[in-house]
Amino acid sequence: MQTRRISFAVYAAGLVLLASAVSGQGPNQGGQLTILLREGRRPLPTVALQGRQMVGLDDLSTLFQLTVREDAAAKAVTVSYKNQTVVLTPDQSLASMSGGRLISLPAPLVRQGNRWLVPVEFISRALAPIYDARIEFRPASRLVVVGDVRVPRITAQYDDTGTAFRVTFEMTPKTSTAVTQEQNRLVVRLEADALDALFPAPPSQNNVLTGIRAVEPNTIIMDLGPRFASFRTSTPVSSGAAAMLTVELLTIAGQTSGNPPVAASPEAPAVPASPLPVFGAPRASIRTIVIDPGHGGEDSGAKGPGGSTEKDVTLAVARRLKSGIESRLGIRVLTTRDNDAQIDADARASMANNNKADLFISLHVNGSMRPATKGASIYSLSLDRLGEDARRQSRAEREVLPVYGGGNRDFSLVEWELAQASHIEGSTAFAALVEQKLKETAGLPVVAVLKAPMRGLAGANMPAVLFEMGYISNPDDEKLLGSAEFQNSIVHALTEAIVAFREYLDRGPAVPAAPAAPAAQ
Amino acid sequence: MTPRQRAIVIYSGLAVVLSVALVAMLFLGPRWLATSEPEQAAAASAATSNARKIRARLFYVSEDGTRLLPVEQEVVYGEGTIEQAKRIIEAQVAPPKPPLVSAIPLGTKLKAVFVTPKGDAYVDLSTEVRSNHPGGTTNEILTAYTLVSALTLNLPAITGVQILIDGKEVDTLAGHLDLRRPLEQDGQWISQ
Repeated sequence: MQTRRISFAVYAAGLVLLASAVSGQGPNQGGQLTILLREGRRPLPTVALQGRQMVGLDDLSTLFQLTVREDAAAKAVTVSYKNQTVVLTPDQSLASMSGGRLISLPAPLVRQGNRWLVPVEFISRALAPIYDARIEFRPASRLVVVGDVRVPRITAQYDDTGTAFRVTFEMTPKTSTAVTQEQNRLVVRLEADALDALFPAPPSQNNVLTGIRAVEPNTIIMDLGPRFASFRTSTPVSSGAAAMLTVELLTIAGQTSGNPPVAASPEAPAVPASPLPVFGAPRASIRTIVIDPGHGGEDSGAKGPGGSTEKDVTLAVARRLKSGIESRLGIRVLTTRDNDAQIDADARASMANNNKADLFISLHVNGSMRPATKGASIYSLSLDRLGEDARRQSRAEREVLPVYGGGNRDFSLVEWELAQASHIEGSTAFAALVEQKLKETAGLPVVAVLKAPMRGLAGANMPAVLFEMGYISNPDDEKLLGSAEFQNSIVHALTEAIVAFREYLDRGPAVPAAPAAPAAQ
Repeated sequence: MTPRQRAIVIYSGLAVVLSVALVAMLFLGPRWLATSEPEQAAAASAATSNARKIRARLFYVSEDGTRLLPVEQEVVYGEGTIEQAKRIIEAQVAPPKPPLVSAIPLGTKLKAVFVTPKGDAYVDLSTEVRSNHPGGTTNEILTAYTLVSALTLNLPAITGVQILIDGKEVDTLAGHLDLRRPLEQDGQWISQ
């Protein structure tokens, strides 16, 4: 039987605080953060000011027992906690910490009425270092975790095989669970103080799982439909710092989606279901690719002497590439934009993360002050201080854990925005393959392979490269970039590189241990 | 004409000439007294040439357009790391003499420089660094690393550079390079 795979993945970046969902308030996109303490939850109102989310020092003072003192003569505001201080100056984005250290904020201290407002990043950058308990700010879920509170991130993926409907939960960090049936619903209880979760709606008319939601403080409720017969669960298995739990909902024999039985009984015999997925077994190494056409909207990117714009070239090639990969390789391809829209860097990476993409390719066109400069370049992320930060901010002890595809991997948790840090080797390997295929199949003689701290790659939680197809500032390259023939040759080379990368991944563990040297022809 | 009439005509003529001269002095005098612009520039140049100077490496776009070429130039001396950093960046953002090509967008002005004890320099620039930027990854990288190289390679106390625009943090200059943290020197962008 052909498996109908309906995969929805939610990554931490897109998560919405459980409390909001539970209270029926919906996603908390503006208006407040939620502080999670051992003692419970506290709202922290936010104010939108010139595109920035700000919080009042008075509110922070109440929540965190801070002292706020205004020094009119010095035109400064001092925030104190015990013997630690942060000195802020209006219209100045730098704050001075105890010991003379300066920290940078994305916006300055602002007076509004009788209140002082600071950007929400003040919490992680200024308050966390001086506070005597751990403070973790999760901007995506608008959550501030204070102290030793267990708040795992939960993602879900659905897989409908026709005879069974599987729900696979990924819990980071690893969290123990217990699954029980209570009448027409399954209840998953987690050993946690709160959940950081948002589940996509189950496919419509599947009649097995009709709804799924998180309930405060630590429970997931799965509403069962008339096609449900029984269930079974896998033994939770570690995958890096996460734990994977599959709940398989077995269906009543002969019933298909959208055709509920006259009388459904939980005791009805289930058709033999395929075995539960075995974690560690081989899997398709590339199932989803996200193509990212650079720039868009008011951001035209680089411009050519003939009037071409980077945003138009990248969109045209992205459309061709999506079509080429889907038709030739049968891999699901998503694009971060399919029109002239302006999208910020985090939203692009989030799309790839939320869809559990296995590869992220950002398309760009280059520009140089020297009109003669021409040729292609492939960038992967360089770590320098970024990588050091990633390791420093690790929230889990490094440990060797089993991973998909067999073998072990030395793993540590990093901040979401530094997700690429754990995929550097895969990205480097793919960049080398793109270079090889561009030279072989597209006939591009000048292809530079480089590493740099690229903003659009930092948050991608999968192998990712930024591909500069040529210099639009060069008149010859500009003509080439606009031609269908050249665009098709780029698509062909990238498709070949994806095939080679898939083979590369299939030869070894899902995340390569070392970059592969491209095979000589 | 009697001698008396002749005297009246002469004195009247002198009075007119003196009046015209007086009016001319009142309205045009300040301009005559002021130093002309070229003279001012020459004076400033003379004053500058008298100021203490150091030799520093400034960075310009290499012939192949993908790297930075170090060029040793005289830069005004500044007392201490922060003052010297300001003088170096002021010289670096100034339009260069041809055939040098700068990766700093035209019109960019230095607003302030801060240096943390850790060695991170925050270089606050005017909005032209972004609004006049031509775009493209290479251009953006060279713009940022021009400033990074000018400070870290001339001033050992500075190990990282973060660009601010009008006092505010920025994600990128042109959509590619991550400017949310200080950048460290990277030799791959320097032409050997």
